[in-house]
Amino acid sequence: MSLSENFFAGVDVGSLAAKAVILKDGEIFATGLLKSGVNSVESGLSALNLALDAAGLKKEDLTYIVGTGYGRVSAPYANKAVTEITCHAKGANYLHPTVRTIIDMGGQDCKAIRIDENGAVVDFAMNDKCAAGTGRFLEVMAEVFKVKLEDLGAIALSATDTVPMSSTCTVFAESETISLIARGEKPENILNGIHHSIANRIAGLFSRVGITSDVFFSGGVAKNSGMKSAIEQTLKVTIVRPEIDPQLIGALGAAVLARSFAKKEGLLAA
Amino acid sequence: MGKHLFRYSENNKERFLESDNITFNDGSVVTPEEIWHYLTVEGPEKYPGSFEVNLYQGNRNSRDETLPTSLKTHYLGLTFCDRMEKAKDRGKSIAFIQGGQAVDPYTAADTIALRPGLVNQWNRDRVHGNDINKEFLRRKELKEKAFHDMSFEACQTGGYEHIQAGNLRVDVIAPFTVLRCSDVSYGVEAHRHGPNKNVKLLNVDYPLRHQADKPWAIEYFAQNLRKLVGTLDEVTGRTTTEEDLLASIKLHNEGRRLGTELSELWWSTDVPPTNSADRASLVGLGNLDNHGDVRASLSVLKEAKKFIAERVKNGVKGHAVPDNPKRIFILGSCVGINTARSEDSGAIVVGKDDQWSHCSTLVEEEGDPFYNLAKYTLEYPYEQSIEKRAQWTIEQIKKSRADGVIFIHNWGCNTQAAVARPILDVIKREIGIPTYIQERDLHGLQHEQEQNRVNAFIEML
Repeated sequence: MSLSENFFAGVDVGSLAAKAVILKDGEIFATGLLKSGVNSVESGLSALNLALDAAGLKKEDLTYIVGTGYGRVSAPYANKAVTEITCHAKGANYLHPTVRTIIDMGGQDCKAIRIDENGAVVDFAMNDKCAAGTGRFLEVMAEVFKVKLEDLGAIALSATDTVPMSSTCTVFAESETISLIARGEKPENILNGIHHSIANRIAGLFSRVGITSDVFFSGGVAKNSGMKSAIEQTLKVTIVRPEIDPQLIGALGAAVLARSFAKKEGLLAA
Repeated sequence: MGKHLFRYSENNKERFLESDNITFNDGSVVTPEEIWHYLTVEGPEKYPGSFEVNLYQGNRNSRDETLPTSLKTHYLGLTFCDRMEKAKDRGKSIAFIQGGQAVDPYTAADTIALRPGLVNQWNRDRVHGNDINKEFLRRKELKEKAFHDMSFEACQTGGYEHIQAGNLRVDVIAPFTVLRCSDVSYGVEAHRHGPNKNVKLLNVDYPLRHQADKPWAIEYFAQNLRKLVGTLDEVTGRTTTEEDLLASIKLHNEGRRLGTELSELWWSTDVPPTNSADRASLVGLGNLDNHGDVRASLSVLKEAKKFIAERVKNGVKGHAVPDNPKRIFILGSCVGINTARSEDSGAIVVGKDDQWSHCSTLVEEEGDPFYNLAKYTLEYPYEQSIEKRAQWTIEQIKKSRADGVIFIHNWGCNTQAAVARPILDVIKREIGIPTYIQERDLHGLQHEQEQNRVNAFIEML
C-alpha cells in the first residue's frame, strides 16, 4: 500500500443487516454485508472486517470511519456517528448527483428524503411507531406465503387483481392475509394488494416532504421489483435504482462523509 | 451492578453558599447550607434516579454547578412531593388542574394548583430509593391501568388514576374543558363514572372559536372564573375577595415580567448562557406554577435573572453547550426533546411555545380582576386560530434566532396533532426555516426512534 493512499469506511448497523463500504480515495473499493445480531458492536465490526478482508486491508489502514444506523450509538470503532438519513442522502448523491428525492425502505423504517445538488438533506419524513411498509413487514408476509423474501415482488407483479388490505399493523395484516387466503383470494393478488398498501404509506410520507426528480430507491426493500413498480404507479414517478446493492447506500454515504470529515480535520495523507 | 450517580462537586460549594435563601409561601426559609446538604446527602439517598448517570438524562456526570439557581430548581423539584404532603397535612387545599390555565385564581384562593406535570413529579417522588428503570416501570404500570380505565388515546391520565385510587389528596378537579387538550374529556368522564365520588369536579367552560374580541365571551368566561373561586372557597372555608385576586394577579405579573426579561436576556447573546434544560427550568419559573409554591419560585427567579445577566455580560457559556449550536424552537403541549443528547449532537433548545404563551402576556391590573383574567386567558397566543398562533410563533422564532422548528405531539393529543402541520406550513411560508413534525409514543423510556429523527434534523440544519 502506498503511503499516499487514503481509505475511508462507512459502517451501517441496521435492525436486520450490518453493512460496510470502504472507499479508496473517492472510489468504492470493497463492501461487506451480513445479518445483524443483537450485539450491534459485534455486527458492525463483522461487517467492517468482511469489507477489510475483501480489500486486503487492516483496520489501522483506514484513515477515518463513520458509523450510522441504529448501531451508531455504540460504535467504538468509528471516529464519528451520523444518522442514516444524512448518509443515504450522501450515498445517493455520490452515485447519482441528479437525484433530489430518496425513498429508503430498510428493516424497520421507511424514509422520504429530499436532497439538494450537494447531497444535503432539505427535508425528510419517517414512518412513526409502526413497522408496516418496511423490510420486516415483507419478511412476515413471505413467511405467511411460504415463499422466499426475494421472490415476493415477482409474484406480486404476476397478479391479475389487487386485493385491498385494511390493516397496516404487521401482526394484524398477517391475520388478515391468512383470512384472505382462506376466503380463496389468489396469493399473487393478495401480495399485489400488500405492495400497494405499502406504496400508499410511502405516498403519505411524500405528502409532507414533496417529490422532485430524480427519484432514487435505497434500502433492502429496493431489491423488490414489485415494490418498485407499486411505488412508481402510486407516486407516478420513474425510479432510479442504484448500480450497487441498495442495502449499501447508507454505508456508502457514511464512507463519503468519512472522507470529507478526514479532509476537514487535516487527516488526509499527502 | 450498582448505578453510577453524579455528585455535586465540593469545589462549587463555597460559591453556592454565598447565594440567596429561598423563601416560601408560608414565610419559611431554607438557606443555601440546607439546600446543599439536601442535594448532596439526603436527595441522592431518597431519589437516586434523579442523580443517575443514564442516557435518558444525557449520560452527564455533572450539571451546571456554577449556576446556583440551577441547583435550586433541582432542589425545588425534588422537595415538591414532601412539601405538598406536609402542606396538605396542615390543611392546605389542592386542586388538580388541566388545560393550560394561569394559576392566579388558585394563588388568590390559597390553593395549590396541581398540573399533570406536577402529579408526575409527586408520583415519582412519593416512593424513595428508585433508580430510573424502576421508576419507569412504576409509571408504565399506572399507564397500562389508565389505558383500560380511560382510553388508549388519552395522554395525561395519572392525576385521575391517583385521585380514583385515593392516593392523591386533591379537593377539587378543575380543568378548562375545551382548551388545548383533547384528552381532558377522557379524564373527566372517567372521574364521573369512577368509584371515588368524594372529590368535587368543576368544568371551567372556555368559549371556543377564538372569541377574545367579544365582550360577551369574556364576561361568560369571567363568570366561570368566579364560579371556580367560589368552589375553591367552599373547600377552604375562606372568602376570596376581588382584592385578593388583584394582589395575586400583581404577584403573577411580577413573575411573568421577570420570566420574560430573563428569556430576552438569554436570547440577547450569541453565546448561550445556560444549557437547554437550565434555560427551560429558569424561564419556566415565570408562571410561578412549577413547584407548588409561588413565592419560592419568585425568589429563585429573581436570583436567576441576576446570574444570567452576569453571564451574558461576561460571555459565559452554559455547561455542556456545544460551540455554535444549531438553535431549535420546540412547539407543542407537554413535550420536549432530550436536551442533553441533542446538545451532544450540536444543538440547543432556545424556546418552547406553550407555557411561554402565558408568561409573555400580562394581565391588566386595573378594573374587574375576573374580567381581566378572562380576557387575558382568551387572548393566549397559543390558543388562537392557526394563522394567529403561527404569526405569534414566528415572532418568538425571530426573537430567539432559531434555525429550525420541531413540533412534537403526543399520540392521542388530537388538538395539537391537528394543528401541527398547518402551523408549520405558515412558518415555512413566512420565514422559510426547516421544520419537522414528530408524533411521540406515550411514556417510552428510551425514545431512541425519536432521538434518531431529532439528530437527523440537527444534521440537516
